[in-house]
Amino acid sequence: MSWEHTDRPRRGSRAAFPGRLGFLGRMRVVLASMWRKASERYSLIVLVMWILFSLVSRFWTPVPIWTTDGYRIWQAPSRDHLLGTDGTGADILSWLMAGSATNLAISLLAVLLSGVLGLLLVMAMVSRRSGVSQVVVVLVDALISLPTVLLALILAVPLGPSIAVVVVACGFGYGLNLARIVRPQALLAAESDYVQSARHSGVGSFRIFCTHLVPNVIPVLCVQLSMSAGTSVLAEAGLTYLGVGVPSGLPSWGHSLTTSVKFINVFPLTVLWPGLVVTMVVVALNLFGDALRDAIDPVTNPGLRAAVAAAGRSALQPAPQAVSAQLDDSDHLVENAMYAGEGGNDVAKY
Amino acid sequence: MNADRHGTHAHDSVTATDTDAAQESGPSTDPELNARIRPMRSGGNTLPWKLLSLLLALALAFSLWTGHRGATGQAEGGTVADSVTVGLKLAPTNLDIRNQSGTALDQLLIGNVYQGLVSRDSRNRVRPGLARTWNVSEDGLVYTFNLHEGIRFSNNHALRAQDVVDSIRGLMAGHYQGSEMLEGFQDVEATDPLTVRLTLSRPYQDLLWQLSGRAGLVFDRRAHYDMKTQAVGSGPYLLESFRPNDSVTLKADPHYWGSDKPKTPTIVIRYLNDDNAAVNALRSGDVQVLAPVTENLASSFRNNPDFQVKEGNDTDKYVLAMNGKGAATSDPRVRKAIRYAIDHRQLIASRGGSDRALGGPIPSLDPGYQDLTGLYPHDPEQARRLLSQAGYGPDHRLKLRLTYANTYGSELGDQLRSQLRQVGIDLDVRVVEFSVWLQDVHANKDYDLSLVDHGESHDFHQWANPNYYYNYDNHQVQELYQKAMATTSADDSNRLLAQAARIVSNDAAADWLFNYRVTTAWRTGLEGFPVDLNQSLMPLSDVTYRRG
Repeated sequence: MSWEHTDRPRRGSRAAFPGRLGFLGRMRVVLASMWRKASERYSLIVLVMWILFSLVSRFWTPVPIWTTDGYRIWQAPSRDHLLGTDGTGADILSWLMAGSATNLAISLLAVLLSGVLGLLLVMAMVSRRSGVSQVVVVLVDALISLPTVLLALILAVPLGPSIAVVVVACGFGYGLNLARIVRPQALLAAESDYVQSARHSGVGSFRIFCTHLVPNVIPVLCVQLSMSAGTSVLAEAGLTYLGVGVPSGLPSWGHSLTTSVKFINVFPLTVLWPGLVVTMVVVALNLFGDALRDAIDPVTNPGLRAAVAAAGRSALQPAPQAVSAQLDDSDHLVENAMYAGEGGNDVAKY
Repeated sequence: MNADRHGTHAHDSVTATDTDAAQESGPSTDPELNARIRPMRSGGNTLPWKLLSLLLALALAFSLWTGHRGATGQAEGGTVADSVTVGLKLAPTNLDIRNQSGTALDQLLIGNVYQGLVSRDSRNRVRPGLARTWNVSEDGLVYTFNLHEGIRFSNNHALRAQDVVDSIRGLMAGHYQGSEMLEGFQDVEATDPLTVRLTLSRPYQDLLWQLSGRAGLVFDRRAHYDMKTQAVGSGPYLLESFRPNDSVTLKADPHYWGSDKPKTPTIVIRYLNDDNAAVNALRSGDVQVLAPVTENLASSFRNNPDFQVKEGNDTDKYVLAMNGKGAATSDPRVRKAIRYAIDHRQLIASRGGSDRALGGPIPSLDPGYQDLTGLYPHDPEQARRLLSQAGYGPDHRLKLRLTYANTYGSELGDQLRSQLRQVGIDLDVRVVEFSVWLQDVHANKDYDLSLVDHGESHDFHQWANPNYYYNYDNHQVQELYQKAMATTSADDSNRLLAQAARIVSNDAAADWLFNYRVTTAWRTGLEGFPVDLNQSLMPLSDVTYRRG
């Protein structure tokens, strides 16, 4: 018995990333296959422009946003103001550009929070300790009935209107949703043979979760997280309108909508622009999620399958060693299991 | 402060038309049935027949409907409506005019349901009310009021001098709203059933005007009712129903004692907090008059012969208060720089142009008014000079925080930030809930700059009170105000007030952004609705609506 054989397996299953195609190569294939469909091309273009405008607006906007002109309010689009002016005479295009940065930050933070929270909850929900998993399932079911708006209104009491209110309310609400939707997929994976064997090989539960379960749920995650990003854009607009979202003085699409929606009967154009931007971005985000799921899954993306196969063929050279290594590993499975038993409680929860 | 809008009142004529149309569409089912039976027999190409009969039925129904409408139109043409619906913005939370603050109650009840010893006209001058005449003694200490004969409350109780005495004594004893404004009050007594004598310990120039408001209201000492939901007064209208945050229905009192008999039997007041909903209500005929209308929204009613739009004079002052004890704003150079930096004309233009520039604390409808707009003209150069004298410059920019309630919208804050930025002041604008403003600014005086619409009239005393949230403490102003109130001559009083107002404005104790003028819009055919001062005083007895 040699010590090097007691090392735990380094690589997890590759349900979502099978084959040996590198990350960059894989991305290239994924993007190329997304670009082929018009709707998916649209979502890529809009999202890239969103990011671009956010970056540019940090340094430059057509008109500085804090330039108001009381004599030139509610102006129709012109050479000086490409989308016209709002009720203070400020340039609408500049405000929308500056707002895109705020909205991007909100969406990213909300997605991050909901992703982390959702996965933590999933981890607890598929826990083999039935007490923990049942309690968490019930808890999530109960908390999911809390509307995001209500949560935001409650948060706004101590925090006042702020970005944090939107991010926390969205992140929390979407995190719960995410957990519920991901759970069946994760449970299925947890019951699979490779997870069972990994467990019996003494792989830690956290490690199993990260290397086996997360890759399995990535398609669902893509759809859910991109939808969360889209919904957080809508939520920002709604919450800012209610006065608990982005504070006044910070440009955001919700702010642009709120200040102009009062005058929708008289100056409908000023509502149209921010409304159009919000719609375009939300549609793009929803399309993007679906497209990404289809594109990264080799089962639904023949292009990726072919690329992986090609990469696999070119990587055939070291194959005999790999096989022998696997055989080696299997020889020592029993030892691994014994090690796991000594290793303590962190193993074999799944 | 915010009021939600619940429920709607379907307009009578609208519902009538709906039911008529429903009845007249009845005959149209017959041809439709026929059309349905025929294909069973022939089984041929029946679609054209179906369409034709449907068209015929529709045409029949339409002609009947329009014919009927024409008939009612002729019948109603030129008739005076029995009921007028008035759209207002801010709703009172309850009807207790003795304890509940806010001008929404003054607007609704004073002059319509309750009446005072004296009243006000649309120019904010004191006029007879329950008292027909009055005398003031030489020394300005004794006021004798002679009541009208035959005044009755709506419950048919006679109104006597003793009711006046009990009301004013109750006001002072209960410290009700308005009692703090009866300075130097000593006693009030009834010398006979129609004569009331009020004595002061020192002369008080503003007494009569104050008695035309809440302080002078007369309640029925023998009536017992819940003042929060009911109102029993001597005015031309009876309060029929009160639905909090929604509507109030007033019915004309058939036995009203006065000569200004109500011309419209029923007046419904609807509170429409949402500006767009309000404008739509006026356009659709749910309300016949709307006050106030946001000036920028009123533009859709101008040049439309069906509607009239007019701005009224008012005493609303948009005050940009500058904390007299603030870290930076205690320096008069900073305060003056802010005043020079603000372009008032631009602010007014962006609001639709109906508001009026106001250079000092006293608006044109109040005693002591003079035009002070020339004191601090828009001059960014001068503002920068003053700021650099005060030690601020490009490398040490002045940072100030502006706190104001969200009821005023974010536009003013955005504009002030933009204008002050040009002279080197970074404004951190905080738009907060009204309750937060009350706590932080009004109670704790924790602010640099604050923005409030001070709508009260005769409120110069704020500047003579060093404990008010302005933190403005000028002994000369306090002295002048005391003298102005103590003099028995109205002209002297006005002169002294004007003098004091000039000092306050010179000191740049605040900046007065503009005098807000309320825009009122109404349907052509409506007459007699007050345009001036209608947010605090809205006598409705002259209102009539002639359907066109």
